[in-house]
Amino acid sequence: MFEISHGADGQIRLEGRFDASQTDRARGVFGALSASCTVDFSGLDYISSAGLGILLGAQKRLSEEGHRLKLVNMNRHIRDIFHIAGFDLVFEIE
Amino acid sequence: MEQAFPRELGALDAVFDFVERFIASERLGEATAFAVKLAVEELFTNLVRHNTGGRDHIEVGLELVDDRLVVRLDDFDVEPVEIDQQTPAGTDLPLDRRAIGGLGIHLVKSIFDALTYEYHEGTLRVTATKHLEDTHV
Repeated sequence: MFEISHGADGQIRLEGRFDASQTDRARGVFGALSASCTVDFSGLDYISSAGLGILLGAQKRLSEEGHRLKLVNMNRHIRDIFHIAGFDLVFEIE
Repeated sequence: MEQAFPRELGALDAVFDFVERFIASERLGEATAFAVKLAVEELFTNLVRHNTGGRDHIEVGLELVDDRLVVRLDDFDVEPVEIDQQTPAGTDLPLDRRAIGGLGIHLVKSIFDALTYEYHEGTLRVTATKHLEDTHV
């Protein structure tokens, strides 16, 4: 199960398992962003390189216009994956 | 445990169900559970994407041998491909030079102790092994 939604506060919320079968749906949401945005990982249990690729693509596109994604509330295992991927160097993570 | 799955990303739900059964049966802890999910998904999706000419199914095997976790995928009737020779992940590059290619294999190699490829008479076997310390819940 994977859910991606916009909260009333403007944040994007990720829930469940962000695997390679979910990239089209996520790409649609992140592709529609035109300004900086916070992504709430508190409900996300798992992410693979496929999910990382969607986030990287969005960050690259937004950064060209002076915007960025801020990632918050990651669990320990996902934070480890971001570190191994070197994504902690290209994302603001809280 | 082993099970065959259709060679398509749409099979991932069934693949994860299989992995979850293994995790529950072996009472694996959170970190190990995350590792086995990641290895199976990354290796399975690599075979789906790169070995397009094989049989309709890919076989996934999971087992604990003593204190080692063994993740094995067999792909049948395929050409010998060198998945391991993908572009390096470039994890220290600046944002504008980052690419996603090779990242999945980089993650598996970083989390597991060994990742091997064996090719014999049309079958490619990919095996990831990891020594476990705090394996169980």
